[in-house]
Amino acid sequence: MFDAPATRALKKYVQVMRMKNNSLLVNGIAVALLGIGAAQAADQPISGGALTWGVTTEPSCFDPHRSSQQAAFFVARNYIDSLIAKKTDGTFAPWLATEWSISADGKEYTYKLREDVVFHDGEKFDAVAVKANFDFIFKPENAATAVSLLQTFDHAEVVSPYVVKLVLSKPDSSFLESTSNVKLGLISPKALEKGDLCGGGRALAGTGPFIFEGYTRGQSAVFVRNPAYKWGPGNAAHEGPAYLDRVTFRFLPEYAVRTGALTSGQVDLIEGVQPTDAPLFAEQPDFKLLTGPSGASTSFTFNINYTRPPADDVRVRRALRDGFDLEPIVKQVYLGTVPRAWSIIGPANPAYNKALVGSWGNDIAGANKLLDEAGWTGRDSEGFRTKDGKRLSIEVGYPQPYVRDNRDILIQGVQASLRKNVGLDLNLRLITAGEYAKNNANGTWTIYPNTDNPSDPARELWDMLGSKGFLYANISNPDPEITRQIDEALASTDPVRKRELTDAVQKRGVDQAFIVPLFAPSWFLAAKSTVNGLSFEAGLDSPSSAYDFWIAKK
Amino acid sequence: MWSRIISRLFTSLVVAWASVTATFVALHALPGRIQDILAGDLEYPGLREAIAAEWGLNRTLPEQYLDFLFRIFRGDFGTSYVLRQPVIEVVGSQLLPTVELALTAGVLAVVIAGGIALLTAGRSNFSREVASVLELVFASTPVFWLGILLLMAFSFNLRWFPVSGAEGWKSIVLPSITLALPTAGLLTQVLREAMEKTLDQPFVTTVRARGVGEFIIRWRHVLRHALLPAVTLGGWLIGGLLGGAVITEKVFGRPGLGTVTLGAVLTHDVPVVLTVVLLAAFIHVAASTLLDILYVLIDPRLRAQ
Amino acid sequence: MTAPSHRSFEQAVPLDRPEDLAGFETSLPVIAVQRRPPLAFIVSVAFVVLLIAAAAVPWLFTHFDPLVGDFTEGLKPPGWAHLFGTDRLGRDVFARTIYGTRYSLLIGFGGVAVGLGLGVILGIIAGQRNRILDECVSRLFDMLSSFPGVLLAMLIVTFLGQGMLNIAIAVGIAGIPKFGRVVRAQTQLVRDADYVTQATVYGLSQWQVFLRHVLPNVLVAIPIIATVYIGSTILIVSGLSFLGLGPQPPTPEWGVMLAESRDVLRVAWWPGVFPGLAITATVIAFSVVGNFLQKKFEGRMA
Repeated sequence: MFDAPATRALKKYVQVMRMKNNSLLVNGIAVALLGIGAAQAADQPISGGALTWGVTTEPSCFDPHRSSQQAAFFVARNYIDSLIAKKTDGTFAPWLATEWSISADGKEYTYKLREDVVFHDGEKFDAVAVKANFDFIFKPENAATAVSLLQTFDHAEVVSPYVVKLVLSKPDSSFLESTSNVKLGLISPKALEKGDLCGGGRALAGTGPFIFEGYTRGQSAVFVRNPAYKWGPGNAAHEGPAYLDRVTFRFLPEYAVRTGALTSGQVDLIEGVQPTDAPLFAEQPDFKLLTGPSGASTSFTFNINYTRPPADDVRVRRALRDGFDLEPIVKQVYLGTVPRAWSIIGPANPAYNKALVGSWGNDIAGANKLLDEAGWTGRDSEGFRTKDGKRLSIEVGYPQPYVRDNRDILIQGVQASLRKNVGLDLNLRLITAGEYAKNNANGTWTIYPNTDNPSDPARELWDMLGSKGFLYANISNPDPEITRQIDEALASTDPVRKRELTDAVQKRGVDQAFIVPLFAPSWFLAAKSTVNGLSFEAGLDSPSSAYDFWIAKK
Repeated sequence: MWSRIISRLFTSLVVAWASVTATFVALHALPGRIQDILAGDLEYPGLREAIAAEWGLNRTLPEQYLDFLFRIFRGDFGTSYVLRQPVIEVVGSQLLPTVELALTAGVLAVVIAGGIALLTAGRSNFSREVASVLELVFASTPVFWLGILLLMAFSFNLRWFPVSGAEGWKSIVLPSITLALPTAGLLTQVLREAMEKTLDQPFVTTVRARGVGEFIIRWRHVLRHALLPAVTLGGWLIGGLLGGAVITEKVFGRPGLGTVTLGAVLTHDVPVVLTVVLLAAFIHVAASTLLDILYVLIDPRLRAQ
Repeated sequence: MTAPSHRSFEQAVPLDRPEDLAGFETSLPVIAVQRRPPLAFIVSVAFVVLLIAAAAVPWLFTHFDPLVGDFTEGLKPPGWAHLFGTDRLGRDVFARTIYGTRYSLLIGFGGVAVGLGLGVILGIIAGQRNRILDECVSRLFDMLSSFPGVLLAMLIVTFLGQGMLNIAIAVGIAGIPKFGRVVRAQTQLVRDADYVTQATVYGLSQWQVFLRHVLPNVLVAIPIIATVYIGSTILIVSGLSFLGLGPQPPTPEWGVMLAESRDVLRVAWWPGVFPGLAITATVIAFSVVGNFLQKKFEGRMA
């Protein structure tokens, strides 16, 4: 009855629905979508047409090896393929590799590659090309952020023209998933030699379903169909080249502008729908609204640098964690469309530690008592607590390019509550990416608001809390307990033991208030009702590429 | 007449030269190394050395200054180290939408101001009172707020115009009105004052005595005289519109210099901001020079000299 | 009285040079605002007094906290409970507008102080009987005013960084030419006035004449010049805060509030209307008061 893409979208939809069946608004949306889905069920996908997609964030860098912006990855997926693809159920499907195997000692990963793949610049895709990519990312002087996924990587071997072996220095339970990650996606070795690919364009040659046609700063990036494409991932809805001739990403950072651009027909699809605008699209037959894949990865969290005063005192951190009531703030900012978070890992992730639900937060009396005990007993003219004449103030340095999805507003809500309830000055400051990079390099960052780039749960925890993860790599004295648990989880080949360890890390992270989880983010897409095949990609924890999209005739 | 024009050209060149010199002096007067100031918030190995080489920082100050002048003269505004692109490419690609907006708004402001001044000058009636209150209000209203109000009324409620973008004539209507109204508020005041002065002149009485209709008098004779002093406001108008366009673009999410400049300010991308500011100054100086020369050519009293 | 003394400050500036008006990007009604009826003046004075009171003791006007709202009361339309409604974090828009007065006035006055301070020094230098000095300083003014004010302020913010103090400095520097020219004209006016020329005849040295007659007469005009220009300065400042270059959220500054209002504009008009009204009303009030004072005192200046 239903064609594949529509079914897929609906399935996702129902998944989200199950999670938040308490929300009236979302229910209304589901009904609207079901109606649309049924009406179009008879339609078959058609090739052709151009789609304009209004997106929130203009990527600072289009090179997936170098980017760390969540909002840049689903753009990159249009021109970048990976060895394997992550499916919604957490298993993997073949992509550029048809088969793979892991040696008994967990240190050798062998991939058998497709033999018919060609890069956009005409270069042949083979084992040599794969090795070149891993070598490139692994080299420190290339400063690729994707190197965080190669912590245990030792070297790559070309076994035969189409068989490549990746050898690790020690077992790493997250490595298979990492090879499905867009950050370890494959770029033509000839393009890699050219150096800086951040500016995109044809120079950034991948093997993806679309070719990077051009980029105009401040305006748009354009991709055209790769007619040779016949190596789509095993979990896609169709095979062969993409349906669309052309996809244009338009960078529209303002909410009102994105909404207006879609209602006036200037764009066909937008990402980042303002919660107040959701009913506008859900209730109109000309539009549809999609939300997903909520909380499959990590929550949006405050990462507190627990080595810097005054947050080196666990009592201060716990007071920050418990000094406000999160529920009404999340509800107000997102109008009930997303759930608050209890753990570092998102609620839809299989590794989510459910035991943390209800275990912390909103204990204002307790928080005040903790701060009294910690010696923050004075008050200044603005009502903030002081100790030895110094205000109790902790800065939240939020890099501007990463601000989206009303998250700065949410932090302002928390800030107001902490000020009123416990006299703590949570000083939100939007900083530049460069300033953040400097703070990170010196280990002087204080609170970093973050949703981790999706990967294996142990790898995500390592990224945020591990001794060599992106936050603590330049801090000499991270908590020995939690770093040990994380390292053990990464090395563990026993899934039961790994689960115990990741549960323990989540518990310790929240108990010690190294991390204060805030909410489980969702992506909100709105589109003209003629746009079909929209879905979310598990491996990205974001909208999928435009590979399966197609436009129905009116 | 020619000596007047030549001396005007000379003054303009001096002003343009002075503005380039001022930016050079400012760069060197700032505390900290030039390399660090120009690098913005970016940091990568070899960056400081690359900047020092491009700007010739190891040479003497006079040499650096002459080099700076010469490069600007050739249209080489250096490299944006934050965006890793030549500045002129960054700025050049965004110049058109901004100029388009500023010009449309400028024409609109002149038309509105001319029309209202024509109808209300020298008349002590109710319409003149209303007009002068409106002028005061519009001249005192921030452009971005006007933009927000127009968006609310015409895009969100009436849905006559798109909210954003730079495609098609409809997308430029609201931004150009937004930008034009505060300017028109001020321009009307200037124009009406000039018209009222002209209306008092003897030649008007003479024309009137010949039995020429009031509207014809205003349209043919008075407006033309009053426009002369207003023409000299043109340079100021263009400078103001360029500055205002940056803010207006932000309200309407229009591409253009605004987005680029604001991004550059926030990332301390000095080469880009410097270029935008210098370009705006050049456009301003060029426009006001042109209008002044036009003024000399038009005005019979000056032409006769 | 001598002939020049009948001219106002602005008219003393020759209007046939376009550069003279540059710097008014956000435009202030300088030339006109002819004789307003006294009623407008009285209303404006009352409003200015109210503004100053709101800036000094905002808590007398509202019992709401401008920074902390009730999260269950987000985006409520104006009504008895919340006069101007609430924003998306449930904060009272009226309270935020009242508390915002302090920031706008403070930055506005700061900007005028910086611009006037430097403008007075340069203007007095240019106003002396030294043609070379005059020419140099006047070209300096030309040069500064060839940069559109908003853009020049943005350049200065790039160098100095964001923040309240920095935008006050930036707007002040961008305003130097307009202040400097007014002071220059005023200095020349006083310098050429009959009684000053006579003082020279009586044998006072040039320096003595300057200190006894010229300087006091120039300085006495400063409060009026400041009142005339505070409006246009507040306009530019609000624009820079709107762009995010001034005070940061959750500061209830008017430009910042308007910037925040854009995201909810489609469903809620009130956060986007009242702060803007406050800016416009403030600018009008200061313009009317400034122009009236200027007209009243212009006869006594020289």
